[in-house]
Amino acid sequence: MITRQFGSEVRWMLRRPRTLIGLFGLILVPILISFGIWTASDDGESGGGPPGLGAILQGNGMVVPIFTLFLSLNLLLPLVASIWAADGLAGEAQHGTLRGLLVAPVSRVRLLFVKLFGLAAMSLFAVTLMAVVGIIAGTAFLGTDGMMTLSGTTLSTAEGLARIGLFILLVTFQMVAIGAVALAVSSTTEHPLVVQAATMTTIIVFQVLGQFTSLDWLHPFLITTGFPGLIDVMRDPIPLGQIGDSTLLAGCYLLIGTGLAAIRLVTKDS
Amino acid sequence: MNKRKVTLAAAAAGVITGVAGLSLAAMPAGAGQPPSLPDVSAESLVEQVLTSKPGAFGGTVEVDNKLGLPALAEIPQLADGKHSARIWTDGNGKFRAALPNGQSEQTIVNDGKITWSWNSANNEVTKAEHKADQPKPDEQKAQAVDPAAAAKQVVGMTKEFSDITVDGTARVANRAAYELVLTPKASEKTLIREVRIAVDAELKMPLRVAVLTNGASEPAGTVGFSEINVGAQDPKLFEFTPPAQAKVTTPEAKEQKDRDRGPELGLEQALQGKDPQIFGTGWDTVVGARIPAEAMTQVPAEAQGLVDKFTKKVSGAWGSGQIFNTKVATILIADDGRVVAGAVPEQVLFDTIGQVK
Repeated sequence: MITRQFGSEVRWMLRRPRTLIGLFGLILVPILISFGIWTASDDGESGGGPPGLGAILQGNGMVVPIFTLFLSLNLLLPLVASIWAADGLAGEAQHGTLRGLLVAPVSRVRLLFVKLFGLAAMSLFAVTLMAVVGIIAGTAFLGTDGMMTLSGTTLSTAEGLARIGLFILLVTFQMVAIGAVALAVSSTTEHPLVVQAATMTTIIVFQVLGQFTSLDWLHPFLITTGFPGLIDVMRDPIPLGQIGDSTLLAGCYLLIGTGLAAIRLVTKDS
Repeated sequence: MNKRKVTLAAAAAGVITGVAGLSLAAMPAGAGQPPSLPDVSAESLVEQVLTSKPGAFGGTVEVDNKLGLPALAEIPQLADGKHSARIWTDGNGKFRAALPNGQSEQTIVNDGKITWSWNSANNEVTKAEHKADQPKPDEQKAQAVDPAAAAKQVVGMTKEFSDITVDGTARVANRAAYELVLTPKASEKTLIREVRIAVDAELKMPLRVAVLTNGASEPAGTVGFSEINVGAQDPKLFEFTPPAQAKVTTPEAKEQKDRDRGPELGLEQALQGKDPQIFGTGWDTVVGARIPAEAMTQVPAEAQGLVDKFTKKVSGAWGSGQIFNTKVATILIADDGRVVAGAVPEQVLFDTIGQVK
């Protein structure tokens, strides 16, 4: 029963044109990055890439998926998650279809979990799609001999794929956490744009707040604080400290978002 | 109705757990109850620290630095703020250090014959084959973030000039440790009030070093393990193969390139110079050097601006120059290229600079 609901939810999401356009936009990112780095390498002088992970992209195509997801996590992936969360409840309310779902003899908590599952499934799909396109584009444009880490070691292709898989899961989890909070907002309004605007404003404000050292007491509360630490996946051996912290932080957001959305849905008049 | 209440309660519990989790994560890790350990005399503890030979271990080092140093490109870990580094050693000279700097990373590996130094920011590997009786600069860099090595050095250099006590116990990286406190004797003219070293009760290996300065209750600098696992480490950690795309250079070539890059590096090199002159002993030791005159005149305006920003102009019977004050050290650069530095008040430097050859 519930699996059928999950299935139909994901089918509904995939059928929306904006989802397809969004996914198409997402796969352009790794292609453009690979192409950009490839043209830069044609100039002869290497090391002209952006700092950090960008510096080791040259001839290291397997890093492209990680680099792409790492960059997209700051803005693009939260945006996509917020769109899906907005469609999930606010969008249905706008079309009047939420009322039908709320009066149906289906538990509202179950309805929330179906929405959350749809969000998680689509996030995983989007992130995996970006990673796969990243691997293909990266290998095609930049070539690869395994995967070079930030620590200067070279991983075999299998180890590299495992790292990419781990990163996909970590990034997806961050996306779901943001999406859960967006779902809570989504349950309070009939205007999907409000949800997107609220989510994106929050993410951007968080990132601005993160720049001020005078506010460092606040930083551990901001989900965006956990983003940069995820790059530890590219260090060898992997230090688990920051990755664990980021994931716990996102877990707290997931609990808060889901809890608030559940409270709102259960108390909502149909 | 009842079911609705249960659902609401569960949802509220979820929210509260999430908020509590955030607050817990934001709180600094508590030190916990200090362990109770058998009494030990300060003398024997110092002796054990100096003679202990740490075996194989791997761990994460946290550096918390409020010294007021400008960021040096070479060792980002020493800039103000909190930094971390990871070190591994097999106990027989081989080691690996990973020094993350933002998103990039420096890795230093000593595989017994060669010291490799990798920097992901410029995709460059420096390969230094070991020669007898030659200092290995990158190795010193790695050891600067190793609390065990740093503490040993401090104790060795200052124990005759300090009052040494054991001040209770502490828990560092989940290990029981004695707090060894070195207080400079009253005759020492130094900025430092005391150095606290947490010594592992079992291995007698220093786990944390904290430097406290006069007039401050918080340490000006702390280097300590946040996590350590003692025992044999994966031998693969002590091997290094340069990545296929990396440029491999030798230290000699790199030094030449650095020299071309500018005199601010010349200054750094002069301070860690090949043969610095040492004046005095103990806590108020002053290190002196002379920057070649041509390096002084070649300072580009940009670098000069940087120097001016961190220093103030001073003059006296010894001449004139610029002084750079940090919480634990003072550096005096005379206009004629003489440089003196030490963990001392500036007056001591004014008195000493005349002796620089």
